[in-house]
Amino acid sequence: MGKQNYIECERKGLEKLINFRLPHYFYTIGILVAGLSIVLMFVRAFAMEGDTEWLKLILQKTLLVGMLFMSVSRDKDEDEMVVKLRMQSYTYAFVVGVIYALIMPYVEYGVSNAMKPEGEAFHDIGDFQLLLFMLMVQLMCFHALKRMR
Amino acid sequence: MENTIKVERAILNITQDDLAKKIGVSRQTINSIEANRYVPSTVLALKLSEIFRKPVNDFFKLSEND
Repeated sequence: MGKQNYIECERKGLEKLINFRLPHYFYTIGILVAGLSIVLMFVRAFAMEGDTEWLKLILQKTLLVGMLFMSVSRDKDEDEMVVKLRMQSYTYAFVVGVIYALIMPYVEYGVSNAMKPEGEAFHDIGDFQLLLFMLMVQLMCFHALKRMR
Repeated sequence: MENTIKVERAILNITQDDLAKKIGVSRQTINSIEANRYVPSTVLALKLSEIFRKPVNDFFKLSEND
């Protein structure tokens, strides 16, 4: 393989990695999966009896998968500006997510102990809570930035 | 970065939507470029140059802040 071919091959590989996004129809699939997960979460909480902890854990995961599909699928009118806005929204989500993970345990502990004297013990937030929050921030920021463009 | 894309577009008598379709972006992106809210990539600038049949420097100018 010549030097030029090698460079071209590397460039194509890098472009594939940079431009990775799911097709737009995954956005609709994501909405359906996330929506169905939320509905089933309510059904589990209010209409089901017995030990359904396993279902709760599965629904948490499907909700995250649905939101991830929404997050990484192409926009209907995808162009370089939309790509830039999406990257910016990931930056916001990451920064806000780190701040949330640092502050929220103290807020939860404070609120819990202020409400009742024997409040909850101090504990860090869970991975589901953090990932859900970051995905929500990313999706909201992305849509807000698109409206502002 | 300042630009005169709106003027160039008026010379060609084309709408933002027409220009957007010609260079393969959304109308909102053209609007953002015209309003100096977004600086396009070199690829997009060269596509615009092809449409306007002018060098990029003719319709993109560096401002004092750049």
